[in-house]
Amino acid sequence: MNVMARTTGLTLDVESPDWAGGEILERITEEAAITAPDGDAPRVEMVADEGAVVATGAPVARLHDSPEVALVAPMAARVARVHLRAGRRLAEIVLFREPGGDVVRHDAGDAAAGSSDALLHLMMASGFWPRIRRRPFGRMPVAGERPLSVFVMASDTRPLAPDPLDALAGREEDFARGLGALAGLAPEGAVLCKPAGAPLAGVPKDGVRVVTTGARHPQGLAGIRIHAACPAAPDRPVWDLHAEDVADLGSLLVTGHLPQTRLVTVTGPALNETRRLRCQTGADMRALSYGAIRTGPHRILSGSALDGHPGHWLAPRHRQVTVLPAGEAAPKPHWFLAALTRWSLPRPVIPTAALDAAAGGAFPVMPMIRALSVGDDETAIRLGALSLVEEDLALVDYVTAGQPPLGDLLREMLDRVEAEVGA
Amino acid sequence: MIRGLWDSEMVAAILLAALMPVALTWLWFGGLDAAGRLVLALIVAGFWHIVFMLARAQPPSLAGAITALAVAMLAPEDLGLLRMMMGISFGAVFGELVFGGWGRNVVNPATVTLAFLGFGFPAFAWPEFVPPVAWAAIPAAVIGVAAGVMPFGVAAGAVLVAALGVLAGLDLEAVLAPAVIVLVLLVLDPVTSASSTPGRWLNGAFYAAMVILFATGWDGAAPLQMAVGAALLASLAAPTFDELATQIWVAQRRRRHGRT
Repeated sequence: MNVMARTTGLTLDVESPDWAGGEILERITEEAAITAPDGDAPRVEMVADEGAVVATGAPVARLHDSPEVALVAPMAARVARVHLRAGRRLAEIVLFREPGGDVVRHDAGDAAAGSSDALLHLMMASGFWPRIRRRPFGRMPVAGERPLSVFVMASDTRPLAPDPLDALAGREEDFARGLGALAGLAPEGAVLCKPAGAPLAGVPKDGVRVVTTGARHPQGLAGIRIHAACPAAPDRPVWDLHAEDVADLGSLLVTGHLPQTRLVTVTGPALNETRRLRCQTGADMRALSYGAIRTGPHRILSGSALDGHPGHWLAPRHRQVTVLPAGEAAPKPHWFLAALTRWSLPRPVIPTAALDAAAGGAFPVMPMIRALSVGDDETAIRLGALSLVEEDLALVDYVTAGQPPLGDLLREMLDRVEAEVGA
Repeated sequence: MIRGLWDSEMVAAILLAALMPVALTWLWFGGLDAAGRLVLALIVAGFWHIVFMLARAQPPSLAGAITALAVAMLAPEDLGLLRMMMGISFGAVFGELVFGGWGRNVVNPATVTLAFLGFGFPAFAWPEFVPPVAWAAIPAAVIGVAAGVMPFGVAAGAVLVAALGVLAGLDLEAVLAPAVIVLVLLVLDPVTSASSTPGRWLNGAFYAAMVILFATGWDGAAPLQMAVGAALLASLAAPTFDELATQIWVAQRRRRHGRT
């Protein structure tokens, strides 16, 4: 059964030109934006106003409710435009790159020496905090929170995702240091999820559990691994972090500066060439794919073809740009054909072998679908829905072409539970 | 952002394609008479699908054709037009369409039709099948399971219990062929069989156990009637097996993690 739970899944064949190979180049785009992580719209107070020049890593805004959490500039830049929604909720802060290599450094001495309070403060002040995803609910953790356990994802099975092991190449020391620091933060330690046979040298033994993930999607998703190894609950928060971010944390502990670049793939069926590059967080996706897109209408997604969303800027936790061809809008079908195919109710889901595989064997999939479709939150929680976020059900939605998407239903359910817990 | 194609209509189409070996063999040996029954069943089931499309905006489904095929093959013989139409109407409407169409039904509409006809008009003889039709059910099941539209666990559970029955020396020869045909046409329906892996094995095993029980203890019933009765009970019990499997899963998880 354990073997089954690690191997079930699907291999999705999303078309993309072959990668030509060569060195991974750094490409800092001229424009970038600080946006809210998926599903989050925190209230912010601006530190740098429109027109101000900020250095790499300098705070541009702070959270209204917890000013110790900073949102920092991913490059030396001029604040071009601040767009806040009602209630000063962050929509986007657009930055234009400025020449000059100023870098903000923090004092990491106490944190590196092992003080967990100092580490938390460093993570919040340096702009590391928004990179953390907390479950349940899949948002940034509240300021100063300590997790029960931290999942570090050194595997990513999304179609055409960059291999985290490539991102870690040459940074093993930083990674081990960051992992050790995180393990000291959580009472149940850190869990490192890596593909079978991945050579990760120097991983600290103390407080770190290693989990081997299967090669098929969704085995390499944090939600599936958390669901299996350490279920999250409102009073038992579990964080998940990409391995590259953990290496960045290790680097922060030594140099006092949080690296702002990440390994990103630019892939998709509407491209002439596949790109792998290092760019800053919140990079302009048009600039990243410029010159590689085939002629014709297209859509640029932040994230993979499965769970990405259209946008202008690379989302804070995403490491993938997908360019899909956009067909012309289908002509309105004849009224009789429309009547033959249109459902007045949500479309039923038929249990098939593909559906079982799409859930990765993690949870009973039909009871979960039924619970989410009828809004039975208690059953969904019993089946472990609090460990999941939308991306974990993206493959189920792909397989069933479900209407309405299950991910949306899960988000509604999480919002309801969050409101109830918060009340 | 990208979407796959396993929506309910695609599953129904693959299921129908998987049933082709058994359907074509039956038509080959049944001739015009069989074709007539099939056309009648298709027309009546199709009529109710159109009615529900107009009244409830519920699009007609290929699953109606699967129901029609199963009814045409398994319904008692020489019922006459009126009884046949009544039975199919009852099964299609109250077995499937009032629940919101295929995918939301609890019991296979063909099973409902057959139970209605069998128990309502007991004087009519149940059909008997030539051996090639029963043999053709095996490739149908293999195609369905390989394509992932028929549950493997149900088939495996049923075969396991049937094999145990044969090994135990029970006389199952008469009931075996109809039981296999009913298994493929009615029990291996992905919607009304259990949907969890342990539940599926239990579901299949339960069906075979019921067939064995009827074969050894139900005097005076035709073999096909026994198999249809077993299929009805198995599909009624399927939600219980699923619930049981879910409870066990939750209990195991609670033991392992202390929470769910």
